[in-house]
Amino acid sequence: MLTLTNVSKIYEGKVAYRALTDISLDIETGEFVAIMGPSGSGKTTLLNIISTNDAPTTGQVEIEGKAPHQLKKNALAKFRRTELGFIFQDFNLLHTLTVEENIVLPLTLDGTRVKEMKEKAHQIAESLGIAAIMKKRTYEISGGQAQRVAIARAMIHQPKLLLADEPTGNLDSKASKDVMAMLEAINKQENTSLLMVTHDPQAASYSDRVVFIRDGKLHSEIHRGESRQAFFQKIIDMLSLMGGDGNDFSSVRV
Amino acid sequence: MTFRQFAFNNVLRNKRLYIAYFLSSMFTVMVVFTFAIFAFHPAFSEGTINQNVLLGMSVAGGIIYVFSFFFVLYSMSSFLQSRKKEFGLLIMLGASNKQIRLMVFLENILIGFFATVGGILTGLVFAKAILLVAENVLIISETLDFYIPTLAIVVTFVSFIFLFFCISIFVSFILRTNKLVDLIKGDKKSKGEPKASIILSVLAALLLIGGYGTAISVEGVYVVYAMIPVVIVVTLGTYLLFTQLSVFLIRLLKNNTSIFWRKTNMLLFSDLSFRLKDNARTFFMVAIISTVAFSAIGSLYGFQSIINGTKDPYSITYSPFLNDSKAIIEEDTNKINAILQEENIDAEMESLELNYYEIAEENALIISASDYNRFASLIVDKELHPEENEAVVVEQSGEAGGIVEDGPKASEWLMEANVQLEDGQELQPKRIVASSVLPTTSDGYYVVNDKDFERLGPPERKDHSVAWKLEEGQKDQIIEAGRKINNLEGDLQYKTFIVDYTIYEINKAYGPILFIGLFIGIVFFVSAGSFLYFRLFTDLDEEKRKFQAIAKIGLTQSELEKVVNQQVAILFFSPIIVALVHGAIALTALSRLFNYNLTVESSLVLGSFAFIQLLYFVIVRYIYVKQVKTVLR
Repeated sequence: MLTLTNVSKIYEGKVAYRALTDISLDIETGEFVAIMGPSGSGKTTLLNIISTNDAPTTGQVEIEGKAPHQLKKNALAKFRRTELGFIFQDFNLLHTLTVEENIVLPLTLDGTRVKEMKEKAHQIAESLGIAAIMKKRTYEISGGQAQRVAIARAMIHQPKLLLADEPTGNLDSKASKDVMAMLEAINKQENTSLLMVTHDPQAASYSDRVVFIRDGKLHSEIHRGESRQAFFQKIIDMLSLMGGDGNDFSSVRV
Repeated sequence: MTFRQFAFNNVLRNKRLYIAYFLSSMFTVMVVFTFAIFAFHPAFSEGTINQNVLLGMSVAGGIIYVFSFFFVLYSMSSFLQSRKKEFGLLIMLGASNKQIRLMVFLENILIGFFATVGGILTGLVFAKAILLVAENVLIISETLDFYIPTLAIVVTFVSFIFLFFCISIFVSFILRTNKLVDLIKGDKKSKGEPKASIILSVLAALLLIGGYGTAISVEGVYVVYAMIPVVIVVTLGTYLLFTQLSVFLIRLLKNNTSIFWRKTNMLLFSDLSFRLKDNARTFFMVAIISTVAFSAIGSLYGFQSIINGTKDPYSITYSPFLNDSKAIIEEDTNKINAILQEENIDAEMESLELNYYEIAEENALIISASDYNRFASLIVDKELHPEENEAVVVEQSGEAGGIVEDGPKASEWLMEANVQLEDGQELQPKRIVASSVLPTTSDGYYVVNDKDFERLGPPERKDHSVAWKLEEGQKDQIIEAGRKINNLEGDLQYKTFIVDYTIYEINKAYGPILFIGLFIGIVFFVSAGSFLYFRLFTDLDEEKRKFQAIAKIGLTQSELEKVVNQQVAILFFSPIIVALVHGAIALTALSRLFNYNLTVESSLVLGSFAFIQLLYFVIVRYIYVKQVKTVLR
């Protein structure tokens, strides 16, 4: 459903910088892919290009057979809001809105009927276990709850592709596990394709496939077998093979 | 890099951040300087102009100076607010409080110096324009030539360097250095949702309705008594309107999901309710300042048109003192005629003996129909032909511009009374006619048939009145004649009333007041606009962050523009609309006081302010939208 063909990104400026070099990547419908790599390897640039926030210098990006980068600005905004869902490290919730209002925001912008929005919000909040905090404001809830609200917001319009940028970056280990389990469940139950950028091997071990990039180039990829524990170990091994520094390893290791 | 260099480079290399503060300071200097150019003009100091005008100008200069002090202080503090994070960073790197204060002080001195110089230079550019305007508004015989305003430059420079010095010291002392973590997170801290009290909201509505109701319903002299209480009540009401009622209304709106959840409304209103409380004080200040500007300019303009609207059918009227003999009257009329001849003025004269009779224990004026018609034909008005045994009550009209007096009209008691003839026959008045045919101070009188007039008997009291009617288009001559009559020895000038000359004299004295009022009004109005501009750009970074977050979810450009437009429009127009309503009510009260219709004048003044505000909105909106749009790819 997502196809990247020879995508390169060069940042122009006083000092031109090549962030990505000839990245080609395919993601099937319903697949859960994690992208890992050391700091500065181009993970976030890659995600920004896929999420249409940034345009590639060369190469093509296709989502569901459409080329979003060819779209006009307004059409692109509509595309983002209907086809894609976003989860951010710092949640990106609007503090002026309540939890419920934050969740329905994408539908509101689309002009959906209030009754329908209420129903959908209620349904998704039930399934994510945040129904009790619907009337609360964003500063009254914990980080784990905030990320679940962000997931609810990303999922409410049933996007085809869910993009997550370090979803566990601001969470403690318990909340991280909960959120990852939730993303995995969504991936399996709704058959939503999921692309996640992360530093955290623990989080990455929930995916079907981990793609490693380094210095803007694809390095390797590994697939998950039966056991998540074994997959986690394989990811750790790969990271040390890549020669990443010690501080690239999450504290969750061991 | 010394500390001084750091402080200077911080300003010079970060122009975008400082430009708004710099420009508003420069603007203030420019305003004061142009005013100084005008006030220190050599034409005034040579002493041909009235002392009161000079006093008025220094008072006005003082007001503008004090106002600019607060304006600069306000700009400065809102500017410092937006730099919390920077101070936090400096403290983290080990800067002491003293150093930060020193830095702010140095920055201020630097900006202040350049703002003063820049203001004076731009002021020089506008100097000729302001002098031209002054020349036309003020009725003065001298022309205000352009000159090199050395004194104005020195005074402005010294006073503003002093002002910026004071503010720099002041600001660096009040600069509160909170906890470091608060400074660093500063702008990220989320505030609780503002709350409004229902009681205070209702009170706000009641105060406004009460104030407006009183202002509109009172008439005549009561307007003066009602003024101060109404001003206090409405000011309080306005404050509560912005701090309580508006928050309350938006809360109500937010609870209505069918409106609140519709498209971009959610973004707009949620943000509004948060910002309203922050904005409330700005709004209040802007609304009050603009109201002062509107009312001042509106009433000054209104006064002028009331004065110029005074219509007297006769160009010159002469009414002798009570004990003046026939000879004196003759002598006086001859003098006036001589002066009119000197000035080559074509005028027709009519004179009349006014006979007062005792009727219903009061003195009433009775005029014969032929006398009345003589005057009527002079000013080409309708003639009156009462039947025999008929008396017509004439109500003196056309007294525009006078304060409406209380009590029953003169015609009422005249209608109730009877005119008694010598032989005991009574004439019952049947109709009332309003006219301004007779040049008399009586509020009302009777007109009777000539035959009846002869049967009236001896009058109680006699008076005399002479009136001249001039051909059109001799305004300059009549003013000159008026000046001559007024310069004559004796008390002739107190007996004659020359309407054009009086208006000319009033306008001459009034010109400076109008000019100064206009000036201060415009200064207030433009600064009100700058307050709004500052308010808007203080929050710009936070807004950008917010829109960036939403843009990632997917917000089309037109939606973003719509939200930003509505936001800026509400910010710009809500205080101005309140001020316009206040101003309209105030001018209505004014027109009630003088019983003179000021609709045209009010709509002209208020309309032009609304138009300027609209222009201002369009410009600011353009800059702001452009800024916010930078977050969208």
